[in-house]
Amino acid sequence: MNRRRFAYGRDVFHRFEGNPIIMLEDIPFRANTVFNGAPVKKNGEYWILLRVEGQQGYSVFALARSRDGLRFTVEKEPVMMPAKKGIFAKYEKRGIEDPRITEIDGEYYLLYTAYSKFGARIALAKTEDLYYYERIALISEPGNKDGVLFPEKINGEYVRFDRPIGHGVGCIWVSYSKNLTDWGKSELVIGPRGGYWDSYRVGASIPPIKTKLGWLEIYHGVKMTSAGPIYRTGTVLLDLKNPAKVIARCEKSALSPREDYERVGDVGNVVFACGTIVEPDNEVKLYYGAADTCICVATASLSKIIDFTLGISETVGMDY
Amino acid sequence: MIQKQGPDILCRWEGNPLIALEALPFSCSNIHNCAPIKYNDIYLLLLDVEDLKGHQLIYLAKSKDGYSFTIDETPLIRLRDIKGGRKSADIGVTDPRITFLEGIYYIIYMVDSNVGFRLALAKTKDFEKITHLGYISEPDTKGGALFPEKINGKYARLERPKDGGRIWISYSEDLIYWGASEVLLSPRPGYWDFNRVGCSVPPFRINSGEWMLVYYGIKSTSAGPLFRIGAAILDKDNPALVVKRTNIPILSPREDYERIGDINNLVFSCGAIVENNIFKLYYGAANSCICLGSTNIDNIVKHCTESEKEF
Repeated sequence: MNRRRFAYGRDVFHRFEGNPIIMLEDIPFRANTVFNGAPVKKNGEYWILLRVEGQQGYSVFALARSRDGLRFTVEKEPVMMPAKKGIFAKYEKRGIEDPRITEIDGEYYLLYTAYSKFGARIALAKTEDLYYYERIALISEPGNKDGVLFPEKINGEYVRFDRPIGHGVGCIWVSYSKNLTDWGKSELVIGPRGGYWDSYRVGASIPPIKTKLGWLEIYHGVKMTSAGPIYRTGTVLLDLKNPAKVIARCEKSALSPREDYERVGDVGNVVFACGTIVEPDNEVKLYYGAADTCICVATASLSKIIDFTLGISETVGMDY
Repeated sequence: MIQKQGPDILCRWEGNPLIALEALPFSCSNIHNCAPIKYNDIYLLLLDVEDLKGHQLIYLAKSKDGYSFTIDETPLIRLRDIKGGRKSADIGVTDPRITFLEGIYYIIYMVDSNVGFRLALAKTKDFEKITHLGYISEPDTKGGALFPEKINGKYARLERPKDGGRIWISYSEDLIYWGASEVLLSPRPGYWDFNRVGCSVPPFRINSGEWMLVYYGIKSTSAGPLFRIGAAILDKDNPALVVKRTNIPILSPREDYERIGDINNLVFSCGAIVENNIFKLYYGAANSCICLGSTNIDNIVKHCTESEKEF
């Protein structure tokens, strides 16, 4: 990807010139919108588990694959539909949403939002081939979403972030588990900041990336305006042993809706990431849904994102 | 107890309110509710009291007859006793519910903060030394109550997540990590429990072996909420199944002390004592005093019928 000459002064993440990379026209079945996809790099190939909203109004998951991570082909049929049987059917009546995939010891774990009249809950499934998903458990109570699983255990326990709402305030919380189905020891990680771009609500966006300095979480922050919400992307670094401990948090947003495809759609002014691919050269490919209508990609080097999070970008005067 | 005639299934004690603000040996803002337990033939109440600053604390009250109580001068549970992250500005501890389980008294209580209310767990053997086990839910969850025995090999609890205003059931191997949450009881549009429901009395077994759940139901009016109390019967093997439910409340705010206070039109309970098939409900009235009402268990069972509709 070539860096645009005048990208300076806008966002830390650099948008791909060919955005959006997946649009409604790329879906081989009738649908309303495609957005919020979870990317996976497997055997050198790129895959995205896509949230596709049907024209009925509820969402399902479809699968896209690519050799270069930029040009994708979408499989003919959805790979995961709301469950029809058992306990999951009761809690997925209104669809399945916002997938996040984490690889742990060679297995892919999917956290997604199960939506029903009982509210939005976080659900867990497992896959080997990204085509077949084995549902494991519903792992939160209602009113909770944006669940992301850490790629490794901390102190012998699985770790997740999620986004419950307390007294109307949406914050990122951390919880721990020994078996992935029963969770506890929940703690507040970060909340909204008054006066900032993330003043209304925050939630985890991507499964955290392990770096030498700490866990890097790319999150979404919402500012409420008289015309509705603005969804932006930010970054936070967290202690490797205690992810409730904040090492540094970005001052500014790292990616904001600016392009037409981010401003205009079913939900305008939204950039909403569900995952990243970290390339061997430490380039981070951030896959995000734009305006709840299409999928885009933007990139930045890991070191640049960390500098940005630590707030040393301007003082060091590096070329961003 | 002399029965005072009225339209409610529960009979109020004629000496109500049982504990008014004047009975406390310290000054405070109000009394919200209480959790009763009979311990070594002494009646104990964990009183949920709001101090003059607006923070909530839990005090112990003792009685030999269950009617006249002496209240401790120092709180039994304070916010500062609880370990854990202090990123949020916590406000107080409230709504305790006691369950006797495997020889230990467990107390689930709620901690309120600027980022929501959560459930926390403590245990005690003597109501003198309390061990706090930490938070057991995310926000916004209240109405926590433990079952007094394991269900299919696991600990079970009820809770009331804010979203949807329903009672849910969750399970745990160790009381710390919880999962397998399921909806148990929902509000019923058009009924007295129209908008929200939550557990009042921790579930207990009745003679048939089934579980009785006494819960609170809220109907919102243009002047604010009406808090009432009703009951449901849960399956004896799988308490996630509601077998029957009262279509009418067993107690509604009617007396002045229930109608007038910091929160008007409120009867709210965190527990009951069952003795010789008599159900004694200790309840908070109008968030301002503690009252007592009672009836025969069979009388409640009689009013639990098939719910008229599915919700």
